[in-house]
Amino acid sequence: MKRISLLKKSSKNQPERFYPNYQSSILRAPKMNLIDLIPTNTEMTGPIFNKDIIGKLDNDLTVNFSKDGSKAIGQEIFVHGYVKDQYGKPQKNVMIEIWQANAGGKYRHINDKSNVKLDENFSGCGRFFTSSDGYYFFKTIQPGAYPFPNHGIKWRPMHIHFSLFGSFFAQRLITQMYFEGDPLISLCSIVNAIPDKKSRNYLVAKLDFSKSEKEKILGYKFDIILRGKDQTFFENRLEGL
Amino acid sequence: MKRKTNTLLETPSQTAGPFVHIGCTPNLIGIDDVFKNDFGVQPFKNVPKNKLINISGTVFDGSDVPVYDAMIETWQCNSEGLFGKDEGFGRFITDLETGKFNFNTVKPGFTKYENGKSQSPHILFWIVARGINQPLVTRMYFDENETKKDYLFKKINNKERQKTLLAKKIDENNYLFNIHLQGEEETVFFDF
Repeated sequence: MKRISLLKKSSKNQPERFYPNYQSSILRAPKMNLIDLIPTNTEMTGPIFNKDIIGKLDNDLTVNFSKDGSKAIGQEIFVHGYVKDQYGKPQKNVMIEIWQANAGGKYRHINDKSNVKLDENFSGCGRFFTSSDGYYFFKTIQPGAYPFPNHGIKWRPMHIHFSLFGSFFAQRLITQMYFEGDPLISLCSIVNAIPDKKSRNYLVAKLDFSKSEKEKILGYKFDIILRGKDQTFFENRLEGL
Repeated sequence: MKRKTNTLLETPSQTAGPFVHIGCTPNLIGIDDVFKNDFGVQPFKNVPKNKLINISGTVFDGSDVPVYDAMIETWQCNSEGLFGKDEGFGRFITDLETGKFNFNTVKPGFTKYENGKSQSPHILFWIVARGINQPLVTRMYFDENETKKDYLFKKINNKERQKTLLAKKIDENNYLFNIHLQGEEETVFFDF
């Protein structure tokens, strides 16, 4: 029988909702048990976005807010990778949205009260779709680390926020990408809310020199795995493989 | 059911943080010259005004303080019970000062569960914010009578908790749906 279902989650792979070392979670994590829901059409369908709405510069944060033609301040980098599901199958047409602080660690946001200067040529947002083989690519500047209130003041490692829409709502993901070698990663309670160290490492992009020779730009590789449909219901054969 | 050993683990979730608007609703916070427009502003386009319903509410934290930095996404079928292309998706923020959200949509129709049984009209709410490490998923239902035979409601098995999923009908076209992350009125959240 054909039945829609999802692969089971691994609890050690996801951050704990209530994680007191991350102060903001204390009053915002539910205290009661979540109710198990067998996915229905609601969770197994999702929006399809119009790609035409993507502008030419939406995936180039070094110039997409340029006021006078000059580039954003900071170390220019490119970030790329593949989006796959849990079976390793490439996920095409995934909409990815990203946001980040500027090179000094300041966000273009009314609630970022730090006195670090904004860069007038940097917005901090980008969006794009994966290609037919699940590949994505964007250009930006290296975001700065910054202090934030968390049981006193702690530091966020350098990071880029990622939001992804797969082909159904249960694949919806918001996460953060960190940078290989940043000593602040292992000290961050938002990262450490994930119990399994191996899983924390999935969020760390690896240095990539593939464009350093030709285009003289430093790269980072970051692959992303979205939730898979359970295929054990399909007799002897995996769907789409 | 066993998870296949040769499958990969999902990329873990991380909080959307307090500045989610920059990436997801930039036009709402004054970054209005990068993206042509934001997604999900209107779940259904070209709907006659008398067919629209308004849903508003507040997200409260464990000390009953409004969460003023949340982003809510909604997903629903149309009034005929069909999930459509580029229809039914909404993306809203809680007001940066008051913590209130507010949007217009259509009332969804009945759908079916996997086993063919009737599923009551509902809207999926997907909530992220600073301090929320994994998105919180809940559902808003419209009418207690509509949910009496619903399998999911029976599963919750506690009348008081069931009520947290029911919007308050103000009049034919206006509904109030408050979400409590903790406390006596803690909203039912789902896992799948």
